[in-house]
Amino acid sequence: MSSLQGYVDRRVLVILQDGRVIIGMLAGYDQKSNVVLSDSKERVYNTDEPVEEIPLGLYLVKGDQIVLIGELDLEEDESTDLSNIRAEPLPAIRY
Amino acid sequence: MLIFSVFKTLTDQTVIVELKNDLLITGVLKSVDQFLNIRLDNIQVSDEARHPHMIAVKNCFIRGSVVRYVQIPADAVDTQLLEDATRREALNQTKR
Amino acid sequence: MDTSSAGIQEPFDLIRLSLNERVFVKLRGDRELTGVLHAYDGHMNLIMSAVEETIMIVDPAEGGQGSVNYVKRKMDMLFVRGDGVILVSPPSRT
Repeated sequence: MSSLQGYVDRRVLVILQDGRVIIGMLAGYDQKSNVVLSDSKERVYNTDEPVEEIPLGLYLVKGDQIVLIGELDLEEDESTDLSNIRAEPLPAIRY
Repeated sequence: MLIFSVFKTLTDQTVIVELKNDLLITGVLKSVDQFLNIRLDNIQVSDEARHPHMIAVKNCFIRGSVVRYVQIPADAVDTQLLEDATRREALNQTKR
Repeated sequence: MDTSSAGIQEPFDLIRLSLNERVFVKLRGDRELTGVLHAYDGHMNLIMSAVEETIMIVDPAEGGQGSVNYVKRKMDMLFVRGDGVILVSPPSRT
């Protein structure tokens, strides 16, 4: 298993099949890559408005909805001013 | 199984993973599993201006099912060896 | 290619006999590839070299008559995930 082992208790960024971006602390996962995120927030990207963060709290994301899980570099993430970022939402996965 | 083995030999090579949402991610291949889930280090998303979403992400786990292509360094594979291994595996499949 | 001793009994034999030959691959999302086939498996995962990809993009222009654009791209060595593969066609085509 090319596992998520190293990501437990780290802040991660999760991209979902529909293009949504969720950040949170990886509390746990299983072999189907279902994950539990604590203190999670959705980051909503918009081309003419700043990034909006919507608190979600404790979240379970089903493995088959996941595109990618990345470890957040906390320093870099905190130094990024989300209110300056304008971007299209990520495209959804198309099979 | 064959393709899984090939990917294992590509560990520590720089690859470009293209996802089914048209995102291109360049990085160093750290590990693969039997679902062809991929771990990449030192990643860079192409066209970062358009996709700033992952600026603070340095390494990631990519679900195998969302991969469209993986571009691999041509000199990292022995094509003759690959073809022989493929024929051998094909033979094993039909013998069963 | 040794067609006489290893005849074609099942679909995958056709692909096996195309190893080290230039093949044409049609993919989901209006994509096509040509390239030299080096490996495949039962999921139709492929590894190909000297690949040229063609993506067909339809511009839905006004008046109902859209124009079709082809975008081409070249890649040295490529793994193609089998779930996107629609067909693999042996060398004869190009």
